[in-house]
This record gives sequence, structure tokens and C-alpha cells, in this order.
Amino acid sequence: MTLALISLLTPLAMALLLLLSRSRSGWWVMGSSLVSLIAALGALHGVIQDGAQWMHLGGWDAPLAIRFRLMPVSALLLVFTALIHLLVSVYAERSRHSQTQRTDYWPLSSLLHASLAALWLSHDLFNWYITLELLGLVAVAMVTISGAKAYVPALRYLLLSLVASLFYLLGVVLLYGHYGVLDLALLADAAKADPTTRLALALMTLGLMLKAAFWPLHLWLPPAHASAPTAVSALLSALVVKGPLFILWLLWSELAPAELGQEAGPVIAVAGVLALIFGGWSALRAPYLKTLVAYSTVAQLGYAMMALGLLLHWQRPELHVALWLFVLAHGLAKVSMFLAAGEMQATLGSKSVGVLKGATQTMPIAMFAFAVAGGSLIGLPPSGGFLAKWVLLRPLLLEPAHWPWAAGVLIGTLMSAGYVFRVVVLSFDRAHPTRPDHRPDLFAQWLALLPALLVWGMALISDPLILWLTGGAP
Amino acid sequence: MTLFYLCIGGGLFVLGLHSLLLRPHWLRAIMAINIMGSGVFMVMVALARRGDTTDPVLHALVVTGLVIAVSATAFALRLASGLLERTKKPEGGA
Amino acid sequence: MSQTVANALPLLIVLSSLLPGLVIFALREDQQGLRTFLNLAGVVVKLVLTGVMIVGVSHGLSFRFVVPFIPGGDLILQTDALSLQFVGLSSVLWLATTLYAIGYLGGSPLRSRFFGYFSLCVSATVGLAMAGNLVSFLLFYELLTLATFPLVVHRGTPDALRAGRVYLAYTLGGGTLVLMGVALLHTLTGSPDFVPGGYLKALVEQHPFSLTLAFVLLVTGLGVKAAIVPLHGWLPRAMVAPAPVSALLHAVAVVKAGAFGIIRVVYDVFGAGPVQVLDLAQPLLWAAAATMVYASLRALQQREIKKLLAYSTVSQVSYIILGVALLGPIAATGALVHLVHQGLMKVTLFYCAGNFAESLHVHRLRDMNGIGQRMPLTMAAFTVGALGMIGVPPIAGFISKWYLGLGALEVGQDWVLLVLVGSGLLNAAYFLPVLYRGWFGRAPDAWPGDTQLGGGTPGWRETHWMLLAPTLFTATLSLLAGVLAGTGFSPLAWAQLIIATEFAP
Repeated sequence: MTLALISLLTPLAMALLLLLSRSRSGWWVMGSSLVSLIAALGALHGVIQDGAQWMHLGGWDAPLAIRFRLMPVSALLLVFTALIHLLVSVYAERSRHSQTQRTDYWPLSSLLHASLAALWLSHDLFNWYITLELLGLVAVAMVTISGAKAYVPALRYLLLSLVASLFYLLGVVLLYGHYGVLDLALLADAAKADPTTRLALALMTLGLMLKAAFWPLHLWLPPAHASAPTAVSALLSALVVKGPLFILWLLWSELAPAELGQEAGPVIAVAGVLALIFGGWSALRAPYLKTLVAYSTVAQLGYAMMALGLLLHWQRPELHVALWLFVLAHGLAKVSMFLAAGEMQATLGSKSVGVLKGATQTMPIAMFAFAVAGGSLIGLPPSGGFLAKWVLLRPLLLEPAHWPWAAGVLIGTLMSAGYVFRVVVLSFDRAHPTRPDHRPDLFAQWLALLPALLVWGMALISDPLILWLTGGAP
Repeated sequence: MTLFYLCIGGGLFVLGLHSLLLRPHWLRAIMAINIMGSGVFMVMVALARRGDTTDPVLHALVVTGLVIAVSATAFALRLASGLLERTKKPEGGA
Repeated sequence: MSQTVANALPLLIVLSSLLPGLVIFALREDQQGLRTFLNLAGVVVKLVLTGVMIVGVSHGLSFRFVVPFIPGGDLILQTDALSLQFVGLSSVLWLATTLYAIGYLGGSPLRSRFFGYFSLCVSATVGLAMAGNLVSFLLFYELLTLATFPLVVHRGTPDALRAGRVYLAYTLGGGTLVLMGVALLHTLTGSPDFVPGGYLKALVEQHPFSLTLAFVLLVTGLGVKAAIVPLHGWLPRAMVAPAPVSALLHAVAVVKAGAFGIIRVVYDVFGAGPVQVLDLAQPLLWAAAATMVYASLRALQQREIKKLLAYSTVSQVSYIILGVALLGPIAATGALVHLVHQGLMKVTLFYCAGNFAESLHVHRLRDMNGIGQRMPLTMAAFTVGALGMIGVPPIAGFISKWYLGLGALEVGQDWVLLVLVGSGLLNAAYFLPVLYRGWFGRAPDAWPGDTQLGGGTPGWRETHWMLLAPTLFTATLSLLAGVLAGTGFSPLAWAQLIIATEFAP
């Protein structure tokens, strides 16, 4: 547990230090992310060996205490967060086109990292409210780094985020009023399927779905992620929307009684299929490159929604392995895609998708990174996305009654292939390639390639990965 | 008594939400969100009185919530005024 | 040889083209010598390793490379007789096509990228050939799509891009169907190795519907690459690619991968028995027969050489599917041996088409008048290939058709014989006029597009030696495969060996 706390406190301390010292150098943040990553790896190792751990803040006892819980999934998410933060920090500091080099990005991103770490470790409804608010405020602030053009999407994001938090808070309050505890484990024991609980869960779910950009409450995401600086978009798509997903998962799989889960499951799963279809369709038609990548996030979350919904509907806890595999694979792939897109956009001089004509000649590494990342999003073997899809498909194909859901996955695959290859085919256009405005930054392109290669290597560690994830089943 | 304040709190929440659903100007949106927040706080305060003694946990939560609400409102107002400066005319809100 | 070394051999064969390919990507355009060296070195190493494996297998050794891959399914590369046949064919034809491509692309731009992806294609193909279970097959099947796509769009023209989009739409869709089929079977049986005779016999009674659905998904997905009508639409359009790519796609990599996959599914996953019981062979048979006839009819209407050859390929690959669907040992032999023979003959024909295009800028059939006087050696090779397609002895094509016909009679599906004969007549109808035109047509006094490549005189200098040598090499092989069919050294003997294990009691 100590190591997990170090993983949380290091970025927090770094954020405060940077705010106080007014320094805006990226090296400190890279250092702190590295320390956080190592601590998180240690925590993961510890939790695999010794099992889940609890910590009571302030030494108080339940039910007054606020408890932190470290389970394999949270440890894995700590590692994931630190890793992505590190990768994106290196890009933000070293790329010529990052727009974030001497800005407030540094303390803000460390704060983001700390809030997320706190979220993964919390097991208490109100603690989650705090971390959600922190996350939301910091995320909006980071969106505004790219200047006044981002103010409209940022404001919209902020207002919707606040509304969502209020829904969530109201639900928490109702639950507290009804059961008298805020701790998840205690609530899980006490919860019954009565009207108050239903109302509270509905309110909380609505709020969390809005924050996680679940279809159809996703409309704020594409403008916000598209107008943010590249590094920020990467962090937002890969990490920030996954926090509410975590809470949603624990809420429904631990707290909610099984009957409620079985009722709510199909709704979420169907919304997931629709996310795949409509998100993919919007991505196919998006005029701007970053908007395309942002809609891709909306679509890919559909897989996570399907996994969550079906997990609840059939009460099959093993589907949570599929859920988190999607999150991990998607996070890495999306970072790669955004970094590559940002580089190509900045070097080739325009934000529209059409500017990528001939990019395989002018910016081969960035385009390759984009294509490889896209391959994981489509779910081509042997990538992480394929692994996640495979684990999801197994229970779907087991009984003929479940086959329509498999058809949903099939449609999702085809739509992802559609928008990824829309870009890739364009990039092979040799007849009218776009001339770069600047000399391409090779280091940044290789950096964009790195997470894509990592996600393709995920299938090689599939056995240990699945073991860790199953060990963390609630 | 508790029920009365609960209803008022819920009513404020719904009122604010209703105003938001009409896609208002950003200033009204920020005010609507604050009203929703007040509604939730009122619910919390009312619930604190649900037993024989006052429940201090909920009061603590209200204070926390107020701090967050103030900060968030300040941020929203700063963003919106930045928007106003940029365009010199009121923009559409949420 | 120790077992660990032996087990590494399949991996080494895949790496022998993968590693040079990755290095080639990083080369500059002007590092021609290094690139040629890497290409040829990779191919030669692959041939040597294949030879070693063949010798090893004939002495009773087994080669098996395993790494954990996904839950319940390992990545397995193994060498049974069937995979060795395909690996051998791929390696030999790759040597020829590499040489051809070096000569064909000459000084054109982006050669490093081309040869990089070229090498990746080989790796994917041999990986697919050696795949030991459905999951490994699926992996390499998808990798093949990804590696061949940049080759199709290599020229970067609007036509090439359009062809690339169509190609992707078909092959990715097919790949997804294969994934569904593999996943469905995996839920029923896990991912066991391919077993001659299939491993689904025990499940036929309890899950007939699931097995049927899995079969349909798999065959449809594989049928996209194998160009069964109506899933063949990508093939004629992909002719926009350079000739070495067309030769590659049509003779070895993509099309044969689809046919090879269907062979594996029918014989090593389902087994002839279950396929019969579930009554799945009959629709496949009809689809194959329909493809043969339809494609030949379409070929009759073509005006361009490469498009004609494309439709001929569609038709010919369905001979293989026909043989498989007949479910008898003789027909299966015919199918397997046609896989090799059609590869040799079609490669030859495409090389010739490329020679005509590069030396004389001849793309259309009507410009071929009297081309045999200007390029007799190429035309002779073309004749060998075309006659083989029609089924004229002693060229290899005759052998495979003979066996297919016998196989049809053996299982009592006599109407198939009619289809074979009819298709042969249609083949003659579209190939013989071309041959006549080429040899006996009236040549123009001067060829308008004559590039004088290689010297410009008929005979050994009619075109660049790198374009001529592979053409004659594969033409000779097509002839030898037919002439030596009765001996133990031919593809036929090999096919008979494979089938003996398949249908063993």
C-alpha cells in the first residue's frame, strides 16, 4: 500500500511544488512520473503476491473512516496512468509542435495524475466525488491551454461536467441518507433493491455516463478533445474518461443488487452497440483529423459499455477482464493516434483530414504509428485490441441466444476499419502529396510510435495480464 | 419538517435542470447550475436532520461541496468572461 | 539435430524474410546493392531452411514452434506435409518474383518501401502455411491483408487508391468473418492443433447448427481471399498494381492463402466425415462450379491482358475449391496439386504480361499482334502457361484436371465432369485466340512503345534479363511438373503423400 501511496503522492507533491515555484520545466514532471511508475509497478507486484490491501485514512475505523483499497485492477491502472503520463510528458516537453512547453500544462498534468491515482485507490462514494470534481476542473483547465479558440468547447465541457457531478452527488446523498454509510464495501452488504436505491443509482449513472462520454451523452467530447493541445487530447481520451468508467463499474458490480444490475445491463450494452455504430459513422464523416480521433474514442467506449452491460445482464464477472483489457489497449492506442495526428497536423500545416495526402512519403513514421494504433482499435491480431475483443467474444458466442451481440461487435470492427483506413488510404496518395510546412520532428514521431508498438506487444503478455485482472475480480 | 426541505431541495434541483435543458445563455447556465447545487446542499442539510441527532458527516460534506461549487463557479465565470472579451458579444451557453 | 534447434526452424523461416524486410524499410533509395543483397539473401536462406526441413521431415523429425498467444490458444508453427508443400511453393516463386521485381521496378521511386512490404508478405505467407491451429492461421491471415495492401496502392494514383479501398473492404470484411468463425469454434473446442481428418467429429451430433454457422463464416471469410464468386470483386481491380505484385497476389500469397485455408478447414478442422454429415460440401461445390463458369465467361469479354488473367485466376482457384468440396481422395489430390500447378502457370503468365508491358508498352490484347516475332521466348512461355490452363498435356495443368475429373467420377458427382470440360472449352476460347494472335498475327513494322529494354532484339535480348530469366524458369517448371508427374519428384507425388495421411482409416 505504501508504494501505491507514493505513486499517488509524488505527482501531487510535484504539482504543488511547480505551482509554488512558478517553474514550468517539463523535466521535473518526467522525473516524478517515472518515480510514480516505478512505485506503481512495485505496488502491482505487492498486490499480486499478497492480495488486496486496505488502508484507513487517518487511522479511523469504519464506518467513519475513508478507506483506500488496492486491488490488482487498481494497481494495474496506477501503472497505466503513470506510464501514459510519462510518455505524454516526454512528448509535451520535447516536441516542437506540442504547444505545451512553457505553459501551465506541467502542474496541471501532475494534478491530473494525482487525482486519477486517488480515484483508482478510493473505495468511498464521496471521495470519488472529490476526485471526479478535481479531474473535471483540471481537465477543463488543460483544454484551455491551446488558447481562446478552445474556450467554447472548454466552457461546455465544464458546465456539463458540473451538472454531471451534481447528479452524482445527489445520488450519493440519497444513498447515504438511506443507508447511513458512504463506504462501498459496507454499502454493498446493506444495499437492497428499493425505490430510493434505484433512484440514487439512476442519478449516479446518468452523471457518470455524462462524464465518461457514453453515447448518447457524448456530444461534449469531440469538440473538447479536438481543440485541446495534442498532449492534452491524448491524456483526456486515454485516461480522464476512464475514471468515471471505473466508478460505474464498481458501483454496479459491487454495490447494486443483482436484480438491478440485470435490468440496467441491456440498456448499457445496447447503448454500447449504438456508440460503435454512430461514433464510427461520425468518425467516417469528420472533416478534421483530431475530431475523427475523438469520435473514435466515443466509438471505442462502446466496447467498454458492451462489456459492462453484458457483465451485469448475465452476471458474469469474467467479462470485467474484457472491460479492462479494452481500457488498457484503447489508452495506449489513443495516445499513439493523438500524438501522431498532432505531429502530422502541425507539420503538414492543416487540421483537415485531407491534408494527410501522401503522408506515407512525407511523414512515414507518424503515419505508421497512426496505422498501427488504428490496427489495435480495429482489433487486428496480435494487438491488445484483438485480445480484448477475443475475451469479449467468448461468452457472446457460447450460446446461440447471445449471437446478436456478437453481430454488434462485428459491426463495430467494420466501422473502426472504415475510419482508420479512410486515413491510411489517403496517406498513400502519391499523386498529390501535401508538402510539409516544417521539417518533420523525427523524435516526436518515434515517440508516437512507441505506445502503438506497446499495444501490439500486449498479446505477448496476455497470460499474466489476464491473471492479474482475474485476481482483482470484485 | 425534513420532508418539506427535502422537497424544496429536490425542487430547486429540478428547476435548475429545467433551465439548463432550455439551452440558455452561459450566464444563466452558470446560475442554473448553482441553483442545482443549492438544491443538492439543501437535500443534504435536510437529511442531516433525519434522525434524532444531527448528522455531522453531511454537514461536513456540504462544506466540502460549497468549496467546490465556489471554485468551479469562479472558473466558469473566468472562462465565460474570457469568451466575452474575445467576441465582444454574448455567446450561447451549454 | 537437437529438438530446440529443430523447433526454432519454423520461426527462422518466417524471420528470414521479416528481418531483412524491416532493415530494407530503413534503407535509402540509392542503396540499391544493399537492398538487392538483403532481398536475395533472405530468399536463399529461406530456401535452404525449407530444404533442411523437408529432409528432416522425410527422416521422421518434427518441427514445432510454440509461444503462448491468447487464452486457450497458442501460436504454433509446425511442419506437416501440407504446410511444407505451400512453404516450398512460396519460397521458390518468391525467389523468381524477387528477381523479377528488381528488374521490373528498375529505377522507379519508393523501392525500399516496396521491397520492405514485399518481404513482409512472404513472412506472412509462410507463417500462414506453417500455422498449426486456427488462431495462428487467423493471425497470419490478417497480417497478410495488412502487408499486401501497401503493395496494391504502391503507385499512389487515384485508380490504385480506389482499388486499395475495395481490396480492404473485401479482405477486412472477410477477415472479420474468419475471426467470428474461429472464435465460435474456440468456444466449442478450444484451439487444438490441425489434425488430419479433423477434430470436430465428436461434436457433430450435439452442435450441428453452431458447426454449420462456423463453417459458413469460415468459408465465406476465406472465400473472399480465394475469390469465390460473388466475393471476387477485389481481384480484377487489384490489377492496377505493378506486375510483380499481381504475380505475387495471384499465384502465391493472397489467393492461395484463401484456398489453403479452405483446405485446412475442410480436412484438418472439420474432416471429410462431418462435412458430409452436415451437408456442407454441396453448396461449396455449387459455388465453386458457378465461379469457374462465370469467371471464364467474364474472361471472354476482357480486352486487357492482366484483366483476362485475373478472371482466369478466379476461375482456376475454384478448381481447387471444387476438388476440396468433392470430398474424395482423388479429387483432393487434384485440388492440392492444382494449388502448385496453377501457381507455377499463373506466375508465368503474369511475368509474360509484365514483359509485354515493360518492353513494348503492350497492355491490350489487340496490340499483341505478331508479338511472338519480337519476343519469341516470352511468347513461348506464355504459350506454355496458356496451354496448361486449358489442360493440354503434358503441361502441369492437364495432370490436375485429370485428377479432378477422376475424383468427380469417384464420388459419383458426374455433372462436375461436364463443368470441367465446359470450363476447359471456355479456357480454350479465350486463350487460343490470344496465342494465335501472338504467333500468327501481323506484327507492325515498328513497335510504337518499344523501349529497347535489354537490347531490343528477339531472343535472349528481347527484354531485361531479370525479367526474362524468371519467366523461362517458371515456364520450365510448369512443363517439368507435368512431364515428371509420374515420378516421385513431382508435386503430384507430394500431394498423394499428403492425401494418404488425410484419408487414412
